Amino acid sequence: MTAWLFKVFLLCLLNVAVALLLAPLCEGLMRKLRAAIHSRIGPPITQPYWDLLKLLGKEDLRSTRGSVYAAMPALTLGSALLLSALIPLAGMRAPLAFAGDLIVVLYVATISGVLIMLVGFASASPYASIGSSREMMMLLSVEPILAVALTVGAFKAKTLTLGGIINWQVQNGPSISMAIGGVAFFLALQAVAGKLPFDIAEADQEIMGGSLVEQSGPRLALFRWAMWVKQLVLALLLVQVFFPWPHFGIPPVDLVTTAVKVLLVLILVAVIDVVNPRLRIDQAMGYFMRVGVSSLAALAFAVIGK
Amino acid sequence: MISSVAVVMLILPVAGALLSVMLKGRARPAALVTAALSTAAAVWLTVAKYGSVYTKMLWHVPWLRGIVDVPVLGFLVDPLASVMLLVAAPIGFLTVLFSTAYLTDKNREHPVKSEHYGRYYFWLLLFIASMVGLAVSPNFLQFFAFWELTTLCSWALISFYQTETSLRAGFKALLMTHVGSGFFLLAILILFARTSSFDFSALGMLPDGLRAGVFVLLLIAAWAKAAQVPVQTWLPDAMEAPTPISAYLHAAAMVKAGVYLMARTLSGGWGFPAKTVLLMAGMALVTILVALSFYFVQDDLKRLLAYSTIAHLGYVLLGIAVGGLGSTLGLRGAVLHIICHGYSKATLFFCAGVVSYVTGTRSISSLRGLAKTMPLTATAFFVGVLSVTGVPPLACFWSKFMILSGAMRLSGAIGPCIVIFILCETLISFGWMLYIAQKIFLGAPLAAAQVAADPPLAMNATLVILMIACVAAPFVGMPFVQLIGK
Amino acid sequence: MTTAVRNIEASIVILIAGSLVSLLFARWRKLCGWVSFAIVCASSVCTGLAVVRTFAAASDERTILSLPQLGSRLSLRIDPLSAIFLAIVAVIALLSALYSVRYMEHYAHDSVAKFFPILLLCIASMTGVLVCTDFLFFLIFWESMTLTSYFLVTFETENAASQRAGLKYFIITHGATLCMVAAALLVWRTSGSFAFDAIRQSLSALLVAQPLLAHTIIFLFFLGFATKAGVLPMGDWLPDAHPVAPSGMSAILSGALVKLGIYGLLRVFCSFVVAPASLKGWGIVLALAGTGSLFVGTLTALRQTDTKRLMAFHTIGQIGYICLGLGVGTYCLGTHPALATIALAGTILHAINHACFKSCLFLGAGSVLYRTGNRDMDQLGGLAHSMPFTTGTTAIASLSIAGVPPLNGFASKWLIIAACLLTGMRFPLFLLLGLIALFISLATLASFLKVLASVFLGKADESRAVEEVPISMIVPQVTLAALCVLLGIFPQLVLRFVGRAIEGVTAMPLTGVGAPGMWSGLQIIDGSAVGFWSPIAILAALAVLALLSYAIQRAGGAQSRSVPVWYCGEEHTPSTVRYPASSLYLPFKHAFQGIYPSGRIPVPRFPASLRRALDFDRWLYTPSVKAIDRTADRVSRTHVGIPQIYLLWIVIGAIVVTGILLWLRT
Repeated sequence: MTAWLFKVFLLCLLNVAVALLLAPLCEGLMRKLRAAIHSRIGPPITQPYWDLLKLLGKEDLRSTRGSVYAAMPALTLGSALLLSALIPLAGMRAPLAFAGDLIVVLYVATISGVLIMLVGFASASPYASIGSSREMMMLLSVEPILAVALTVGAFKAKTLTLGGIINWQVQNGPSISMAIGGVAFFLALQAVAGKLPFDIAEADQEIMGGSLVEQSGPRLALFRWAMWVKQLVLALLLVQVFFPWPHFGIPPVDLVTTAVKVLLVLILVAVIDVVNPRLRIDQAMGYFMRVGVSSLAALAFAVIGK
Repeated sequence: MISSVAVVMLILPVAGALLSVMLKGRARPAALVTAALSTAAAVWLTVAKYGSVYTKMLWHVPWLRGIVDVPVLGFLVDPLASVMLLVAAPIGFLTVLFSTAYLTDKNREHPVKSEHYGRYYFWLLLFIASMVGLAVSPNFLQFFAFWELTTLCSWALISFYQTETSLRAGFKALLMTHVGSGFFLLAILILFARTSSFDFSALGMLPDGLRAGVFVLLLIAAWAKAAQVPVQTWLPDAMEAPTPISAYLHAAAMVKAGVYLMARTLSGGWGFPAKTVLLMAGMALVTILVALSFYFVQDDLKRLLAYSTIAHLGYVLLGIAVGGLGSTLGLRGAVLHIICHGYSKATLFFCAGVVSYVTGTRSISSLRGLAKTMPLTATAFFVGVLSVTGVPPLACFWSKFMILSGAMRLSGAIGPCIVIFILCETLISFGWMLYIAQKIFLGAPLAAAQVAADPPLAMNATLVILMIACVAAPFVGMPFVQLIGK
Repeated sequence: MTTAVRNIEASIVILIAGSLVSLLFARWRKLCGWVSFAIVCASSVCTGLAVVRTFAAASDERTILSLPQLGSRLSLRIDPLSAIFLAIVAVIALLSALYSVRYMEHYAHDSVAKFFPILLLCIASMTGVLVCTDFLFFLIFWESMTLTSYFLVTFETENAASQRAGLKYFIITHGATLCMVAAALLVWRTSGSFAFDAIRQSLSALLVAQPLLAHTIIFLFFLGFATKAGVLPMGDWLPDAHPVAPSGMSAILSGALVKLGIYGLLRVFCSFVVAPASLKGWGIVLALAGTGSLFVGTLTALRQTDTKRLMAFHTIGQIGYICLGLGVGTYCLGTHPALATIALAGTILHAINHACFKSCLFLGAGSVLYRTGNRDMDQLGGLAHSMPFTTGTTAIASLSIAGVPPLNGFASKWLIIAACLLTGMRFPLFLLLGLIALFISLATLASFLKVLASVFLGKADESRAVEEVPISMIVPQVTLAALCVLLGIFPQLVLRFVGRAIEGVTAMPLTGVGAPGMWSGLQIIDGSAVGFWSPIAILAALAVLALLSYAIQRAGGAQSRSVPVWYCGEEHTPSTVRYPASSLYLPFKHAFQGIYPSGRIPVPRFPASLRRALDFDRWLYTPSVKAIDRTADRVSRTHVGIPQIYLLWIVIGAIVVTGILLWLRT
């Protein structure tokens, strides 16, 4: 029992460490890429780390009292990291697979977003409220797509566990339905990561960062970090569930291939981010409505066995 | 012993009536005491003779000697009569009790001076006597005699205020019910001519075709008395009567005489042709529908209650018809409905009386928010409404349910059709009555309501007793009812 | 020797007698409240004992009254299913009664005589509904419950809205009851008895012999119960009726009373029919009705700005989840027992959970109303600091209803959605329904974030001093919120009893949901374990990770300082910088505008001509009386008063008579 617990703990730690430490790096890479497309030199890849470090040391200006409010950043980052422990880094089995299936993953994935919205509402700033309101609407538009895409996998693999779906994918190879699901998932990822054309909730030029407008110092650092972690983890989820090939069965090798695929996904996200202007919230919702309906095609294909 | 109690029960109200005439302005205590004693006698009689059929023939009719040599006047106390007694006598007493407070010069709608008391209580007590006599009638002759006496009393009581409209209404009621009585008389004559007997059981001796004919004649008489389509129109007009009279005559007693006649006729089990019984059922349904259609345009609270009464008498006749078609349960339900509806509708009429007593109006549109100032009346009215419309656990639900289950027992599609029809009617009338109750008693009080207050003790006591009766009536009636048709 | 049934009898008797006692004390408002609370306490203890006894040993049955001619008996029995609902009723009633003691001060102008006594009767009838084994008496208790709750809904007698709502409530639910009367009578026609067991037998026989009739009966039952449960479109009364009742009663209405509709549906679909294969269609109907309710109800809730009305719409939404679960369970009953048990476990668990969080929410809204006199979210704001307990409990309940793990709403939603998805693998329609359910739980979240944001968070209005509600109102809220957390973390606490209940009604053991141990969470078993939810592990991980994050936050040693909110230097008042509830999610709300059709149903007017035709006086009696009158008049004209003319008549008469006699002679 203790040995098992210890093993789970170590595996969790691995997942969490990877997510926590590599998330800023990915962000740095994306910034660099954006600069390259802009024909700028851009900040060094390690810039996000320096940003975080700097923020952690800065004065924490609080406009709202309350202990729950004070605990929000830690809870937000914690729940983002929790998500990382529910998704297998390489191989079939997530460290916390015994504690949550894909429905749990879908719900946990929303927690950090919800906490950020709450912080926005709690900070009594109309900009933050607008940001939170928009964030919620984005979540409402995007979440069904994630759910549909993952359900396709569940339907094919006849199980609700992520490991089972990955296993099925590895065994059976690519299929039309999973490909469509993957594409839909990817389109949704753009919004979940808060990248253009869907950075409507932050919209720095418009509502000054939205929900986080009143956050500063270490609190802001944690919220930022949580968002980056979430972006990385969802990219990981996309890669693992929809594109698990090639699968070698040797963890370190798989880890490397996964890392490469995740990077590719994030690069794609960054490219789309650079070449698009921001949409209005109603346009974005209409867009995702269409994506959502199209993603049902994946389900239809799955039902007829493709 | 039993027979003397029965005689006392019958004689006391008559004595009270005569006393009232003599005492005039001080008639109230005498009326109250005689009515109470008569009620006590009636209740004792039903309890003492529970579960058995008690028949005692006492008197001859002198001019019939030679044709019938057995006594033709007397008492019959069987479960059916017991139920009728339990409606006629106690509600009669409550009416007297209520009237003692209602018929005063404090009444805002119709102040009554004490010199009219004698006349009022004379007719009222005479009516109680005739109703009690009718309930225990052992044969058609006595039944008819008391039947006509009730008609007479009703004429006098409806016209009590002696205004133009009330005189007209009284005359109309007299005329229409009396025309019905003509058919009753014809039926009795045919019966007597063929069998030389007035007994209910003589119906069984008639040949089939004639029996159907007699049945139809009796049915017409019952329609007229119970205000059924097509002769229902006198009842709404009769609402010109003082409200306690409406409560007693037009909800509990007199109109029930009509359905009681049919119950008597059909409970003996002398098979009547299905066609005639179906006619009865069909007309009952038509009556229910017609009465319902008049709900929505009434502004006079009492007229609304009158139409509801018409519909409920239709229920009773429907139940009796179902019994006639072979489902005893329906008949039992109908008889139970007599008592349940009697008490519930009396509650409503008394509430209407209280409302007009304190506010001086019965117009639904000018009443609002009375619950604030007269909570007890409001409670009683809601209890009455919910009971009459058959909301469990109140009285009429039980009887309605029994009628419905009786109908369900009929073979073929007719049972379910009746049930669906009744349930639809129930929902609509429930909705409307509740709406009216809310309109009158809830909401922000209008000017008329602000001065109102719960009425004198006698009225309040009546309402409380009736509220209890609205819950208890089926439990009182059920033991009697289940003996019927055995 | 007391038994479970005796306990329940005691409970009902205490409540009915207690209502009279409480009526006697009605003049002293506070005392009346405390007396009533004591009575509810006593009855809840009895009910609790009965529940415990039921799970400890098989229940007995007792017949109190018998109506042989109707084939009906008032007999009481408690099985595990009714025990679970009894527990819900007892707990919610107890807490609401406690809450109402002080809350009723809010209605200074209305007598408590029309609240507490009726409340006690309402609780008594709810208890009665759950222990009856005979449909006639079930209906009687059922309608008593409607009747009493009607008076509680119309408690504010001078408020036109509450009366309209009450009228609508009573008429619609009475119609539903009449449907059940019809159904009961149709069954009775073949069985001759109203006992549940007899209904089961004859309904199962009818399904073979006369399927059309049997399905009609089931449809009528469905209408009756679903209306009460608030399943759309029959549940249209609910969003009007629940908000206007005093908040303690709203909590009972939403927390316990609508659950009895679910109880009825469970009885009908899981226990009345022994041939479940013929119920597949009904499973789909239930699931569709449930999905419709949760979709329409929740998205309409999102548009509301009145706190209690919003919560009432969410009741429709959450009942939709329950109905969806029931539909899946019914669909699978005959073919996939394991899946059926998953769905039914989710259904019952969600009923329990919904009772906890929805009551808590209504009490929270009541507390806000009590202190601020306002239910309009656009005008409220920033109460978090002045009402910390109310805020905290409402927040927990809000997250719980939205299914945020690890609160209790999640556990049951997880079961229902998992059952949907797993059934969807056999019949893809359910896949879609499961996805809609998943999406709607997010919409629920949006809606309750709106409540939290606009009522409790944001800029407080300092001009108005608001303080926390009294302790007797806090205790119920905190208890319910604690239950939300407890049942969320340890769903297996009640799952065991839920399993017994399912076994009781369907005779199938709970094979689909595994709970290996106290600490290991739940597993969904469909062949093998295909779904996992371990709240303890998730919570532990979250706690560790949040601590880790906090360590990171503190690592820089940053100082914190309180500053005012930055409004770009604008002059402002609280109302100008508040983001009102009606503005939140505006584009999203626009997208789903008109999802809840509203508008008056045209009332068919009774044609005046027909009414004239029915007025016999008009065209029959008055004319004929007049005609007779005229004829008589004409005849009387022969009396002219002139002797010669009379003599002439005599002569003519004599001639005529003579003529006739002569003619007869020959």
